[in-house]
Amino acid sequence: MPAVQETIDQVRMIDVDQYKYGFETHIESELAPKGLNEDIIRFISAKKDEPEWMTEWRLQAFKRWQTMEEPSWARVSYPKIDFQDLHYYAAPKNQSGPKSLDEVDPELLRTYEKLGIPLREQEILAGVRKQGEPSTLDGEPGDNVYSSGRVAVDAVFDSVSVVTTFKKELAQAGVIFCSISEAIREHPELVKKYLGSVVPVSDNFYATLNSAVFTDGSFVYVPKGVRCPMELSTYFRINEKNTGQFERTLIIADEGAYVSYLEGCTAPQRDENQLHAAVVELIALDDAEIKYSTVQNWYPGDSEGKGGIYNFVTKRGDCRGKNSKISWTQVETGSAITWKYPSCILRGDNSRGEFYSIAVSNGHQQIDSGTKMLHLGKNTTSRIISKGISAGNSQNTYRGQVSAHRKAANARNFTQCDSLLIGNDCGAHTVPYIEAKNATAQFEHEATTSKISEDQLFYVMQRGIPEEEAIALIVNGFVKDVIQQLPMEFAVEAQKLIGISLEGSVG
Amino acid sequence: MNVHAQTTRTPAEAALIDSFAGRVSELPGDAAVTVRRDEALELLKNGLPSRRVEAWHYTDLRRLLSSVPAFKPVSEAEPVAPLIERSAVLAVLGGAAVDRNTGIDGVTVSTVADRLIEGGMTDGLAAAEPHDAVGAINAAFVSDGYVIDIAEGANLDRAIELQNLHTGGQAHSRFSVKAAAGAKATIVERQAGDGEALVSSISDLDVADDAEVLWIVLQEQPDTASYLGRFSARLGKNAKLTLFVMNSGGKLVRQEVRVEAAGEGSEFRLRGVNLLAGEAHCDVTMVLDHIAPDTYSTETLRNVVTGRANGVFQGQIRVARDAQKTDAKMACNTLLLSDDGGFSAKPELEIFADDVACGHGATVTEIDGNHLFYLMARGIDEKTARGLLVKAFVAEVIEELDDEAVVEALEGKLDAWFVEHG
Repeated sequence: MPAVQETIDQVRMIDVDQYKYGFETHIESELAPKGLNEDIIRFISAKKDEPEWMTEWRLQAFKRWQTMEEPSWARVSYPKIDFQDLHYYAAPKNQSGPKSLDEVDPELLRTYEKLGIPLREQEILAGVRKQGEPSTLDGEPGDNVYSSGRVAVDAVFDSVSVVTTFKKELAQAGVIFCSISEAIREHPELVKKYLGSVVPVSDNFYATLNSAVFTDGSFVYVPKGVRCPMELSTYFRINEKNTGQFERTLIIADEGAYVSYLEGCTAPQRDENQLHAAVVELIALDDAEIKYSTVQNWYPGDSEGKGGIYNFVTKRGDCRGKNSKISWTQVETGSAITWKYPSCILRGDNSRGEFYSIAVSNGHQQIDSGTKMLHLGKNTTSRIISKGISAGNSQNTYRGQVSAHRKAANARNFTQCDSLLIGNDCGAHTVPYIEAKNATAQFEHEATTSKISEDQLFYVMQRGIPEEEAIALIVNGFVKDVIQQLPMEFAVEAQKLIGISLEGSVG
Repeated sequence: MNVHAQTTRTPAEAALIDSFAGRVSELPGDAAVTVRRDEALELLKNGLPSRRVEAWHYTDLRRLLSSVPAFKPVSEAEPVAPLIERSAVLAVLGGAAVDRNTGIDGVTVSTVADRLIEGGMTDGLAAAEPHDAVGAINAAFVSDGYVIDIAEGANLDRAIELQNLHTGGQAHSRFSVKAAAGAKATIVERQAGDGEALVSSISDLDVADDAEVLWIVLQEQPDTASYLGRFSARLGKNAKLTLFVMNSGGKLVRQEVRVEAAGEGSEFRLRGVNLLAGEAHCDVTMVLDHIAPDTYSTETLRNVVTGRANGVFQGQIRVARDAQKTDAKMACNTLLLSDDGGFSAKPELEIFADDVACGHGATVTEIDGNHLFYLMARGIDEKTARGLLVKAFVAEVIEELDDEAVVEALEGKLDAWFVEHG
């Protein structure tokens, strides 16, 4: 059955020509010369004031990268990228680590203000904007998304971290939250131990490229038994022309720790394509829990498919300890091309992985996204809920892998993916890979809207709710569960999307 | 992994190329056929597909096809009793067609060897794409088979059974059936033999407007044989096709199914039973295209994996932009009964039309503890109870077929497998 009108209207509201963050900041930048070679890598490393081992690590990665080929299996097509035609380092001038907010270029502050990201913590602390103030809730979608609530922000502008807020307060709880460059200098023992331990240097083409040239990103360490006192977040902004942004995020939750982390991203409207190849590594030790949420809103290109960000991202979490839990939530509306599979390695016994995704494609966007749940430990469980909506001339693919290792006794997975097509020129695709090597594993994959747990369905329906609504309620319930734990304002857009009815879903 | 690697030829690849050189002079065909054979060989020279080729991701042919036996000069294969009583048998023994007619009114038969020599059979004699190993091997080596025409409106009162049998070595056959408008037929395809072998077999079916066909593939190769099979079909307006595939043997099995629901209102049903034991590797790969509006398809596969066997199901449903109101449902259920076995499923949807109902489901589990308890509480010992449950799990698919004689015959095959493999 075709999509209902309400859904069509809601998707139109976030169409590519409605992009609100397309402005450019005119600021003097320092650029590395175009091209990629060992000298550029040394240049980046030197700019970051890195120790010798880090430079060596990068050079090793670069050597591996030169022997690799761009992957072609994903269902996306784009002209060949000339990796020598990019600037691998771009930084606002005089921004090598401002000590206080007063040293930050006012032009930059204005940019973040425009994006609705509070870099002035005192303003929030003083209660200038009260939590849950109606004006922010009812405002334009996406406006002021960060403007209330207490969220520590690491703001990354092109290749550098501009500022990290609430550092002091976090430090009191023992939480380390800083840019990765700072972590390499200040906490080398942690970085050395964990960097590349989830996504190995030679994992894939883009991850290897990132390992060689990553410029900044966030680092989080939550010590044993600590529940991080506030939401942490990073806001990525690509501004400069012809640059690639390669950020690296590393989050470690030590035994019994808990952290919730948010990531947001936007870029100016440009006719050329820009490259973004990030690597995110999460490590959860015994009994730890990490929640990682993304609202991806890179510039998607114009309605003719010109310009936009190429988003080639490797995100992986390692449930290394027993009873650990990692949960990914993503709301994907931006980027010309998305190639992204946030995964969980369920190594620890009784560990749990979750993936909730809403991917909306419009215009000429191409999305090939999904997840991997690799069950290695005993009694590991995972859940995948994915909703894809394609409109315009876009292609939207869900690609997910669930596998149970021989020793993964009693592994459980439940996967549900629904897709919705709006119009005649788009495509929706589902490519699940289900691999079981253990007799006690129990995998269920479904892409039909009529086969949710009978019990749940019965429960809702016997309260007088029609089947279609009951199904929507249950699936949305799964997603909302996680989304509702984000600060409300951050997820205005996400909330709107979840409101989209499942009616007309093709499976 | 994207690291460049210069690859050398595997023993199987080398053996294929060598056997072509030794065999080419005996293979039937006119000049056009020879050109096609040479093209196929060129593809084989590029190497067999490995897991890096998406369509062969779970069946790394390069690694799994460890050896290719030489052709046997004389085959001692004998026709076997047909699955359904009174069937007309058309046998291919060691790659040579031995029968000439069925004795059924409205059915005309000729051999593939004759057609290759006379010309006019080159169309299907090409690989579908660069990594189409089944098509390439068959095109290079095909020696015989049958071409069958079923007349317009003919309603066959007896089934036709195509037997492709060998006693080791290599056998490469082809079957082409055209059911004209309004015809009704049941066709059984038997794939069996004895001894170390490489068998390739391609069946091609055309179901014209309003025609109805039940096609049963019964693959019972010995555990010393590698079998590469393909069944492809095209459905006309309001045509109906039920394809039943039962794999209960073979060392390395790849059974491809390609169906085009090309006529408005056409219906396709796939029912599959895969019984895997020992070291078997069995791959069923389906590509189903819904091209016309108002087409309907359902696929149900039931797999039982024991021992160190490995099962694969790849099912791709593609719905074209014009195929509005398509209704397609696919389910793949597996009982994985051994920790040394494995099963991989890839149920894929590719949808370009916005008013369709498509769904797929895949499960992999062990026997339900509740079901087992239910039976054991009634005094049935565990082994018997397990046997009952496993058999019921697959028998369900067989019982869906309308024809009682067919159901009975297939259940007989099922029982035989359970007796042999406990």
